[in-house]
Amino acid sequence: MHEVESSDVVPARALWVVVLVLGLIGLAIVGITAPMEGLLGDSAQAIRGAVHGTVAGLFMVTATIGLFQGYRLFAGQARSVAELQLGSVANATVAFLTIVLGNWVYIPYRASGGPRGYFLEHAPEVHKIFFEFKEFAALFTLPLAVAASFILVVYAGTVLRRRDLGTLVAVLLTLVFFYFLVAFGLGAAVTKLKSV
Amino acid sequence: MATVIPVGQDHERPSGAALAATLSASLGVLALALAQVLSAVSASFNAAMQTLGNCWMPGAAGIGPYSGKETVAALVWLGSWALLHARWKKRELPVGLIGVVALILIGAATTILWPPVTDLLAHR
Repeated sequence: MHEVESSDVVPARALWVVVLVLGLIGLAIVGITAPMEGLLGDSAQAIRGAVHGTVAGLFMVTATIGLFQGYRLFAGQARSVAELQLGSVANATVAFLTIVLGNWVYIPYRASGGPRGYFLEHAPEVHKIFFEFKEFAALFTLPLAVAASFILVVYAGTVLRRRDLGTLVAVLLTLVFFYFLVAFGLGAAVTKLKSV
Repeated sequence: MATVIPVGQDHERPSGAALAATLSASLGVLALALAQVLSAVSASFNAAMQTLGNCWMPGAAGIGPYSGKETVAALVWLGSWALLHARWKKRELPVGLIGVVALILIGAATTILWPPVTDLLAHR
């Protein structure tokens, strides 16, 4: 006996296929037409910076969604626990990946002849304040994002019913966005001044 | 005052596990901040951070004592989470009070890690 699919499921799947196809077309256009060396930079380590920057860009998306979901939760407008759980787990996963890749790109940053030595020689405050604060602020995102996703996954619908737990998760998601923004903004500034 | 809810009688999971996750996150970032100050104060502590990172982290030699500070933060975060979870998971605890404590710790960690404040604390 065949199960009849809900009429809501089929259009949702079709939408994902459309998004996937559009994404692949976009990537193909970039791959064919873009001057890749110009995009990545001419450094031997440029690929590390590009990968870290790309994942950090993805984190910007998940952290922003998290902020919006936190607001909806705080305002009592959140309806779907599954959406909150998916968003928060994605947020925590991307936070972890961004930190791991940040460590990877930190190696050429500190290496002899890298940006760290350049900044210490020419503008020490850029390393001392921009970079050192950024590298620590980025680490804040992981435990905060994991705490938010843990609460959403374990407590599920209780978070929607209990105002205090909903507020707690909303605050955690807001803090993730704040520390992401600090790290991303300072990281972008450092990269603009001198990339790896 | 904390209330213990016997298993089987609760329709809603008590708040303890959520607060254990939240407070341990704040303890982890505070440990990170303290490790940074101690590294700035003591060359031997700084060297110990490098050694700690070298113990397990791929590429630790390249990222220096930062690897050890990350390790300390992770150990305090996950260790305190395990302990607090075991003690609090069946308890109903005040979310507002413990949430504010966590926020204060996170704020303190952020302040300590602002490089001019770190320098001030380390007398650099």
